Amino acid sequence: MVSKTEETQLNSLENQVDNGGGGAWEYLCLVRKLKVRRSDKVFKYGLSILNDPKKRSALGPEEWTLYEQVAIAALDCQCLDVTKDCIKVLQKKFPESKRVGRLNGMLLEAKGSWAEAEKAYSSLLEDNSLDQVIHKRRVAMAKAQGNISEAIELLNKYLEIFMADHDAWRELADIYVSLQMYKQAAFCYEELILSQPTVPLYHLAYADVLYTLGGLENLQTAKKYYASTIDLTGGKNTRAPFGICLCTSAIAQVSKGRNREDKESPELQSLAATALEKDYKQRAADKLGLLTSALRSMKF
Amino acid sequence: MAEDLVLDTAIRDWVLIPLSVVMVLIGILRYFVSKLMRSFQVPDPKIVKEGQVIVRARNLRAAANFIPPKPFRSRRVYFSNEENGLLFVPKGQAQNAQAQMFSDPNMAMDMMKKNLSMIIPQTLTFAWVNFFFSGFVAAKIPFPLTQRFRSMLQNGIDLSTVDVSYVSSRSWYFLNLFGLRGLFSLILGEENATDDTQRMMQMSGFGFDPSKSLSAEKDGLDIVQHEWALPKFEHRAEAVLKKLVS
Repeated sequence: MVSKTEETQLNSLENQVDNGGGGAWEYLCLVRKLKVRRSDKVFKYGLSILNDPKKRSALGPEEWTLYEQVAIAALDCQCLDVTKDCIKVLQKKFPESKRVGRLNGMLLEAKGSWAEAEKAYSSLLEDNSLDQVIHKRRVAMAKAQGNISEAIELLNKYLEIFMADHDAWRELADIYVSLQMYKQAAFCYEELILSQPTVPLYHLAYADVLYTLGGLENLQTAKKYYASTIDLTGGKNTRAPFGICLCTSAIAQVSKGRNREDKESPELQSLAATALEKDYKQRAADKLGLLTSALRSMKF
Repeated sequence: MAEDLVLDTAIRDWVLIPLSVVMVLIGILRYFVSKLMRSFQVPDPKIVKEGQVIVRARNLRAAANFIPPKPFRSRRVYFSNEENGLLFVPKGQAQNAQAQMFSDPNMAMDMMKKNLSMIIPQTLTFAWVNFFFSGFVAAKIPFPLTQRFRSMLQNGIDLSTVDVSYVSSRSWYFLNLFGLRGLFSLILGEENATDDTQRMMQMSGFGFDPSKSLSAEKDGLDIVQHEWALPKFEHRAEAVLKKLVS
């Protein structure tokens, strides 16, 4: 996750480079450190540095990392010739390297020759069966070919060994939600909350999944997680108050006739509605009418 | 004895500074030699998996109050289940880890290489210091010490009336040995083979690592009382919203 200060730094550097000021190398280093995906800019500025022999020699040993970064960005922008050239240069310098082997595999992937890419990756895995990045590339390949069930299988096997990799859990949760397997998605989101309990994104997603699953207990739990999202974001999140209103009305519908357990937070729904109205008045006043009618229909 | 001995500045020029310089150079030399001799070690899948299991169990323990009680209980059972729980290690296996580590030829070679690269330069430098720089007072320690330290710090000085603060060059050698670690991480970057003190500490806690930490995690997990923190959050959200709305 990129923090706010890093994001502003990245944006300011990007502006600077876009408008002709220097600092392309710092921008590229920051992109690499934060693992952000800005392939078109990386491609443009990286290639300009590499094509200029003076600037290239000024980089020293970092030159090869830049080659790798530009190769991957070129793959993203579908300029496969540039990638081929970069890989050739890297292979001359590091003949037996696994990283270059991985780049070759990615090139085959981008060209669409899935079988050859699969062969390349399996041979790399034979040397080192615990290479995390190659495992993840195989999952990405399965997903790109549309073979979601295989992607799930590979990802599960990966997570059996590397169960502390929260990016993998996040990917698995996304896949499950896309397949509407909500119970499994809830499990993945629980893992994410366990590893990073203060990230409001996961609370929100977990609450969404629980609300979709339905059932009184899940709805109550979902309401609590929407509340925790509000707390963690200081009220700035707009989906969470919506979630609270929906949950409260859904709970009321499900538990019609039974004694309503509003002893915990009776005012939460009205507060959420008021906060939403205030937010909309400030930011999207023309939609306020829609909002008030929707909220009114939700009140029991 | 409160008299002050006046030490010749030549001692500083010809003993203290050369000794430090030599130690720094030897450290840098060792760093490069270790880089040359380093062999790529294929990580053992079982050890990697155990490491990850421990991280996951630790996360579970730390953030247990953020997930509802039912998922927490099912995860706890998954981890500490008697038959096939991840953290459960049958008694017999505990001893195997250490024996296995010594019989595995690769690991034994690695251990030997690391130990050698540490022991030989230390021994040589120590012998050199003793041979050339013994028999005189090298420095004065700025704070007073008890008589116990006399045998340790004043090896070449055969006068028993000299204040214990006046030490020989052997103590300067030891001071440098432990103190130059910071300097090395500045010059050589974080990962350098000159971290002797860390290695010495590692050697004592060797071999048992996987199974002991697993059972430690299991005990910790068994102790955890699940207190679901989420209901509190509802009240807090109310407070936040109230502040926003008002």
